[in-house]
Amino acid sequence: MSTLQKIPVIEEKKGNPLARVFDDLVRFCRSRSLFILHYCTGCGAIELPPAMTSRFDMERLGIQPMVSPRQADILLITGYVSIKTLKRVILTYEQMGSPKYVVGICSCTVNGGMYWQSYATAKKLDEYMPVDLYIAGCMPRPEAVISGLQKLMDRINSGEADSWQDYYRNYDYYLGNQQKLFGEDWQTPTDIITEAKHYELMGEGTLGDHTRLLEQHQKPLEALDMRLGHNIKESVE
Amino acid sequence: MIFSLLDELLIFSAATVLVALILGRGLAVGWMVTILYGGQLLVLIKMAALGYGGDPIASELSLSVMGQDLSWRFDALSWFFALITLVAALLTSWFSCGEWERKFKQQGGNVWLFHLAMALNVFTMLILLASGDLLSLFIGWELVSWAGFLLMAVAGGVATKAAMRYITYAVVGGMTIFGGIALVYAAAGSLQYEAILIAVEKMSTGQLWMLVLLFGSGFGIKMGLLPFHLWQAAAYAETPGPGSAFLGAISSRMGLFAILLVLVKLFGIVNIDSLKIPFTLIDARDLLAWIAVFTIIFPTYTALKQNDARYLLAWHGIGQGGYMLLGLVTANSLGAAGGLLHVLNYAACQAALLMAVFAVMHRTGTADLNKLGGLVARMPLSFLVLLTGIIGLAGLPPMNGFVSKWLVYRSLLEDGMPLLFLGTIIGTLGTILSVYKLIHNMFLGQLRVEHEHIREAPWSMMIPMLILAGTIFTTGLLPGIPLTWVTAALQTIGLTGPEITLGGIESSSGSLDMIWVIGVLFAGFGIGAVIFYSAGPSKRVHQLDNYAGGHFLSADVRYQYSDNFYSGLMHLIRGWYRGSFQWLENSITSLVEFLSLGMQGIYRRANSEFYLLSTALFIIAWVVF
Repeated sequence: MSTLQKIPVIEEKKGNPLARVFDDLVRFCRSRSLFILHYCTGCGAIELPPAMTSRFDMERLGIQPMVSPRQADILLITGYVSIKTLKRVILTYEQMGSPKYVVGICSCTVNGGMYWQSYATAKKLDEYMPVDLYIAGCMPRPEAVISGLQKLMDRINSGEADSWQDYYRNYDYYLGNQQKLFGEDWQTPTDIITEAKHYELMGEGTLGDHTRLLEQHQKPLEALDMRLGHNIKESVE
Repeated sequence: MIFSLLDELLIFSAATVLVALILGRGLAVGWMVTILYGGQLLVLIKMAALGYGGDPIASELSLSVMGQDLSWRFDALSWFFALITLVAALLTSWFSCGEWERKFKQQGGNVWLFHLAMALNVFTMLILLASGDLLSLFIGWELVSWAGFLLMAVAGGVATKAAMRYITYAVVGGMTIFGGIALVYAAAGSLQYEAILIAVEKMSTGQLWMLVLLFGSGFGIKMGLLPFHLWQAAAYAETPGPGSAFLGAISSRMGLFAILLVLVKLFGIVNIDSLKIPFTLIDARDLLAWIAVFTIIFPTYTALKQNDARYLLAWHGIGQGGYMLLGLVTANSLGAAGGLLHVLNYAACQAALLMAVFAVMHRTGTADLNKLGGLVARMPLSFLVLLTGIIGLAGLPPMNGFVSKWLVYRSLLEDGMPLLFLGTIIGTLGTILSVYKLIHNMFLGQLRVEHEHIREAPWSMMIPMLILAGTIFTTGLLPGIPLTWVTAALQTIGLTGPEITLGGIESSSGSLDMIWVIGVLFAGFGIGAVIFYSAGPSKRVHQLDNYAGGHFLSADVRYQYSDNFYSGLMHLIRGWYRGSFQWLENSITSLVEFLSLGMQGIYRRANSEFYLLSTALFIIAWVVF
């Protein structure tokens, strides 16, 4: 499963032309207002402060750091991903609201980099979650980071950056790779299959052997309900 | 004998006390008393002409004691305070009916005594508000003090201690007021207001100073002005739920009523303004204003430190009293209106907040801010009420607290008192911080495992809470309605109010129209709502599907930060909490103990017959010569 699968092309529904204008506008706005959630290892993190602060100043492009995944657009992985951390990274990625983009910085995310012999690191990030953009280098300079992010902006603006949909369409593949690493009882709180139905992104690869395995182990989290009123006759504990 | 409306009101109120006294052991006493409060409120509404500048209503009853005529009457100021008192009594009593009573009884509380104490409080407050001269004022004052003591002591235990502390302060306050009344009597030869007004014109500066200090400190004790504020928080917080909400809403404001009557109406702000403190640049009025500002700041930052929701709110009660006094001391039309309006606004907010806290306490059994959290998912309506209350308390639009505080700030700026203004801003900052602590630690964050199955508060509690929340919003939207009563009340104490419109005030230097303010605010909310709802349906997620630095959360992991809240800020201001007032109180206590020990020593060691003989001789000599 180590080869990159081809992302299926989906034919666009024909709608009225004005709808497309609106979509273009939304994409344009989206590409100019990006919030980064950064998972930074020690080495990669060093390149980001100069990129964010006054010297290179990412904010002139409309890119800002953000502290919680629910409000973030970009998950920035800078550096090697150890297996322990990968669990957290996947949890965080699944908690982000779509559309979401993953940017892998440094060679470690591309192929394991200098840690390619290590037993404790995940070599290729895109086996576990769809990655929109890699910025290779050890370390890439802030200019490279910024030009990479500009590239991502262009792709968002043109509508090419839709690999987040791939996570839903081919969930079974990604989940399989995750189960290979973390064991069969691996589960995150987010219910991806329900979300795929919610976004109408059920693909051929969404369900499969691995999701069946997941459903056997899964302990569901029920949403919190709001409760009002009560039966007065009930005794008060 | 024909009864006037005021007589009807007082008789009604006395009947409420009797009903609570006689039928209090029976069932459904809470409902009966609540209905009777409603009846009193109806009689008060019949007197509504007072609130629009009608003539004062006198009571048919008048007594003559030792040549002093006692009389009772209601004017616009009394009516305004009585309205707040009765609405607070009605709603808090309603809150106590049914479920709360049952639980209180289960925990060994005395329901009969509680309702009796509440009814007595309302009755004595009405008597105080109706007083027509200094002597009846003093009688009403003492009655209110003791009724308050009864209500505070109902719960027993810690509450008794707090109540004892209160009554010590109250007795001292009563004595200083009595001393002041004696001085006034010596100067004026009568205790009627008209005679006193004439006498004040002829008083020397020394006499006036003495009176301002005596009356100011005596009434200030009830109000919780610095440095006499230490009794209040514990006494109010430890009172059983609805009683606490009632006391917090209106009880201390009786002190403000008396200050308005005596210091503002009888002595006049102009006279107080002319009392200079030697060798300094300030006069008595500045002194009052600065006391008010420090009353805002210190208790508010003490509230910030509290970990018990009841105590936090009770400390705020002291702080907000400072705003009222400050507005009234500025004595220009805006400030006075703001200060007096804040009495009503604050009463609504405080009652709502305390009721919400006690509703949570009713369900969870604790008001400890470190043991709650995430209750918004279980008690959404209580959350809504508390949210309304804290917005009002912090003085932010669209709630009513904004109007009164805006008026006070405005008057300070117009009078050119930037330092006082800065003080109020510091106080407001503390208020906002601490009310956020309150709502965050109770309702936001992580729901605890032990609260997984609690329910929303019962409707008997919920309805009065929602009524109050509605009041807070409505008086914030249409502040013209209560401001009309406020201006009528201000005229009775010789101040002028601002020009009123339905949405606020009309003033040459800048008007306030809350209808516009709230309209703009809600338009903003509307745009946000359109964006939010046009983006498709939202998805509710489980509380544990949450981001905490990438941790996998489970119910036994605490990820909500509530203990030692504001630790960074506290680190900065820790040095300011020195307990100076506590130290002052302790030192005075020690001094009194030391003196009494000395007196005992002399008395016990010497010959008691000799004392008796010399006292007798002295009395005979005094009679003869």
